[in-house]
Order: sequence, then C-alpha cells, then structure tokens
Amino acid sequence: MKSLFSSMRDGLGFDIALVAFALGFLLLMSGLPLVYNVVMSFQEVDMFSLGTFSRPFVGLRNYIDLFAQPETYPILLNTLIFVVGSIAGQFLIGFGLALFFWVNFPGASWLRGLFLVSWVMPGLVVGAIWNWILSGDFGVLNFILRETGLIDANIFWRSDPDYSLYAVIIANIWLGTSFNMILLSVGLSGIPGDLYEAAELDGANAWQRFWTITLPMMRSTIGAIIALGLIFTLQQFDLFAAITSGGPNNASNVTQYWAWELSFRQYDFGKGATVSVVMIVFVMIAAMVYVRSTRHEVRG
Amino acid sequence: MTIQIELRGVNKHYGSFHALKDIDLSIAEGTFVALVGPSGCGKSTLLRSLAGLEKISTGDLKIAGQQMNGVPPRKRDVAMVFQSYALYPHMTVEENLTYSLRIRGVAKAQAKKAAAEVAATTGLSHLLGRYPRELSGGQRQRVAMSRAIIRHPKAFLFDEPLSNLDAALRVHMRKEIRALHDRLHATSVYVTHDQIEAMTMADHVVVMRDGIIEQQGKPLDLYDAPVNKFVAGFIGSPAMNFIPAMVGDDGKTLALDLGTVRGILTVDRTLQPGRKITVGIRPEHIGIAEAGQGSFDVPVAVVESTGFTAFITAATTPELIVVETGRSTVRPGDMVGVRISSDQLHLFDDATGVRV
Repeated sequence: MKSLFSSMRDGLGFDIALVAFALGFLLLMSGLPLVYNVVMSFQEVDMFSLGTFSRPFVGLRNYIDLFAQPETYPILLNTLIFVVGSIAGQFLIGFGLALFFWVNFPGASWLRGLFLVSWVMPGLVVGAIWNWILSGDFGVLNFILRETGLIDANIFWRSDPDYSLYAVIIANIWLGTSFNMILLSVGLSGIPGDLYEAAELDGANAWQRFWTITLPMMRSTIGAIIALGLIFTLQQFDLFAAITSGGPNNASNVTQYWAWELSFRQYDFGKGATVSVVMIVFVMIAAMVYVRSTRHEVRG
Repeated sequence: MTIQIELRGVNKHYGSFHALKDIDLSIAEGTFVALVGPSGCGKSTLLRSLAGLEKISTGDLKIAGQQMNGVPPRKRDVAMVFQSYALYPHMTVEENLTYSLRIRGVAKAQAKKAAAEVAATTGLSHLLGRYPRELSGGQRQRVAMSRAIIRHPKAFLFDEPLSNLDAALRVHMRKEIRALHDRLHATSVYVTHDQIEAMTMADHVVVMRDGIIEQQGKPLDLYDAPVNKFVAGFIGSPAMNFIPAMVGDDGKTLALDLGTVRGILTVDRTLQPGRKITVGIRPEHIGIAEAGQGSFDVPVAVVESTGFTAFITAATTPELIVVETGRSTVRPGDMVGVRISSDQLHLFDDATGVRV
C-alpha cells in the first residue's frame, strides 16, 4: 500500500500541485457557488442584502412560499413535459438516424458529420432561426402544415398558450438530436459484427436482431445518453430566452428559466436559489444514473 | 450416399477482386470436409458463401438438394462456429444455447430441456448460468459448438474455431470436434490454415490457393500424390524438400543441384533428357547412412532433437531437411550419406509446378 502510494508520487510536490489546481478550480468555480446557492435558499435575500453574507435566516420559509405560489405546479409540470418531450424526440429521431447511417451507404460518415452543425450552433442563434420558422404569420412551418392540409388556420406557435411550450420543445429536439445520433452511432459501431452474423444464422430476422442484439448491447449507451439528455434539457435556457421568454403567462415557463426570472427580473434571490436547489436534486439523480450506466458495461 | 452440399461453377467477385474462381465441390452427407490453404486463398469466403453471409456472384449452390443462391442465412438451416465464437455477451450460456430455439418460438421449458441435454454432452452443465465473459477460452469454444449442436442443422460450418486456443487445448478439441461429428452423423465443413488439423480431422481435404481448388481428396491421397508443387509443399510437416534437378542423357537419372553438393538419383521411368525438374522429397522419406553408403553425401549444419525425432538440416542450397526417428548420433559438421528411394520421389515440372 505504501509502495503503491509512493509509486504515484514524484517526491517534488509537483503532482500535488497539479491535483490541487484541478481540485481548487472545481471547488472555486462549481463547489462554492453550489453551496452558496443552497445557503441562499434558506435566507431572505433582497437587493439591499445582496452584498453581505450575513442575511436573515428564514429556515424553510422560501420553500413553503414557493410551493404555495399558484404558478409553481404548472411550471413544474411544464418542466416535466419539456424534459420528457425533448428527450423522447431527441432520442427516437437520433436513434433512427444513427441506425440509418449505420447502413454505411456512400457518403454516410460525411453526411453524419454535417448533422453535427445543428449541435454546435449557439442556442440563441437556433432560437432566432426557429422564431422565423415558427412565426405565426409567415412561418415556414405553418406554410407546410397548411399546404399539406394538416391545419386549416395558422398556429401562433410562440404566443398561443396551448402551443408555446411545444414550440420550444421542437426547437430543442432539433438542437439535440444530432448529439444523440453521434453517441448512439458510437455505441452501434461498438457492437461486433459477428454477433449479427451468428444471430442471422440462428434464424433471427432484422426485427428480432434489433430487439435481441442491438438494444441489449446498447443498454449502457442508452442509459448514459438519457441521463445526459436529462442534464442538458434541464440546462436549456437560451431557447426559452430566444423564443417565448417563458410566456405567454408562464405557459411555456420551466424551472431553469423561472429561477433566472425570479432572481434577476423580480430580484427575489432567495426564491430563485430555492428553485435552483429543487433542480439540483433532479440533476443529481440524473448524474447518478449516468455514472452508474457508464460503469455498467455488458460487453464481455 | 446423398450429396448434402453441392457447388457448381461458383464464382465470387469483390469489385475487381476475383475471390472464388469456378469452384466445384460436392460434399456427401455425413462427411467431414476441411478447406485448407494460406490466408487469402478464399477458404473463408467459400465457407461464408455456404452460410449465406456472402452472396456468390455466379454458379449454383445447393444444400440438401435445394437451390440456396439467394436464400438468406436464417433460412438455410446451417450452423456456424466462428473464430471469435461470437457468443452473445449479454446472455448467459443457457440463453446463448437456446437463442435459436427461442427465435423459432419453441416453448421455454422445452428449450431449457434441450439446452440441458446439449450441455450435458459438452460438459457445460455447471456453467449454464454464467456469462461468456466469465468463461475460459476453451469453455467459450464449447458454448459456440453447443449453440450449433442444439439446432440439429443440415450442416456445421467451422471457421478456424481452434485458432484462439493454446496448443494443448487445440489438440484436445480437435479430437472432441471429430468425435462430436461422428456421434451426430453430421455434415461438417471446417476451414483452417493448419494442414495438421485438416489432415487429422477430415475425411476429405480441399486445398485452396488464390480462389481455386488446387486439389481435393482423402488426406493421405493428398500426402502421397500431390498434384502440384504447392499442394506438396503445403501438406506435410516439416514441409517437403524441393531440389532443382536436370534429367540426364539416358532419361533415367536426375542430377540434383544442391549448391556445392551434386547428387545423382535414378528413376524407374524414362523422362525427356535435359528436362528441368523440381524433385520433391519428404524429410521423413530420407534415411541417414554412413558417408559413402547412401545415394550421395551431404555436410550436416544443424541437428535439432525433440527427443523422439531429430531434424537434421544439411548445409546445402537449398537446405535439405531430414527427419530421423529416435536418437540421432549425427553431429553438426559431420558428412553423412542420405538414402533416398526412387519410389518416394515426387517430380514436378520446373516451370509449371505440375506433377510429372
């Protein structure tokens, strides 16, 4: 044990310095704000007490107030719809595309690379583009839906409370699909080809091969990608800022946007921190699923 | 005996590469056929074509009398044992064995019973609950074979199944596979690059090179009468000695060119005087005698003894290798006589390599 430890040391303290730098960075940039946020959720914070750390401690007051507000549950429900809708859309379309490019026709890898363009674009830019597409009067989406006869009258995607949340979900699916596709493509290419040959000789048709070989072999990849998707969708802020600003009347508001609104629009920093803490709990659960699924490898 | 697998004029092209060239092959029911040849000779392509994993470009392929050219692998009813075993890593041994049955909709209890029966014959009963990653190489090999056996297929296809095992296990599994074949009265096609495996296991050996069948027949027929220099050099271990020679003026003597050594051998037939010939002599067909007592004398370069046999390499160009049974008294540097009987000579045309 001692020799193992000494084998990891260089005797000069340089190793300690390297570790300390990384740890220090993490603590300063992530750990401290996180803890500070949690502390703030138990304090009464306003514009005047923002500059000091010794603010009145209010216990669970912020939490109790928060869940007494009429908009809280609709916003939580919106968040759930946003997360489930976005992940489902991103994953299913991404998986479909990954399987499509897996066939490896000429130009497949080139085309697959092009798909990443949507993912590298900043959320605000994507939001601006979708504002044009979703526009009620002259948007391309309405035009297509109308011309194909799916709708009779224009949908005002961004200002109709029934549609505004789905407008953001559509944009978010577009934004995240290619990332899902790339990770799933990597997972697919990791499945040995001879398994499919063996299954084919064992009598399995394409459908059976998908269910008995592809899906089980992709288990850890799928677990990881859904956990990552949960983390990414809970971080999605830009699209809300660009497309609906959470409106109309909170119809498309979600917790991450609301936390910002409470803190920096209504200057109720304590409430904003409280919403963030609620989100931290969910993200932590997702992170645990992610770590577990990447550790659990079934390949033998 | 009925023909189980029949190939007529089979060709396979990959773009401009001609992988199989006019293959004709008939495999009778119950025979064990080995496809053998150096890497890239087309033996694996041929096997994969039988399985349906490769589509043949032209020609006829029949299994149990049925035309199989366009039939997908899952409808051919053949089982394959892969070099990598290709076990399903996310399934237990039992699930691996019953996969084909479950796909066909066999009842769970019945599939379990079948798996237990097969596992009992292949010594896997205590491993049914394990995952492939928890098994040794030999055990994985057995699972791969059991997965094929459980289906009672029309033919077993083996793609170099023993190449990932260590030498001792390989020798053991050789016998086991052959015993299994006999017990199941199966039809087996076995691809290997190891001619020893082909010789020891098969009823019928097919030697391939560059997409063509060089020779096929019973193992010992190939050993005794190789049709060309390639087959002669490929079958047998250590490999046959090849010595350039010229036919003497009388047409009955051969002048061997061994660099510094010149040997004269007489043959019991008449050849065209002056013709260039490659003489093949198997190392085990050369006897060692006192200097001056044999056909001609050679200097000894190296003596390697394995205990039971000794490999004696003569300092000639090309090298002449002799296998002597028992303990050899020959030492490096000695001059020894070599005894070569003319009926054990293989004569090949110098230019074409075809047997004379």
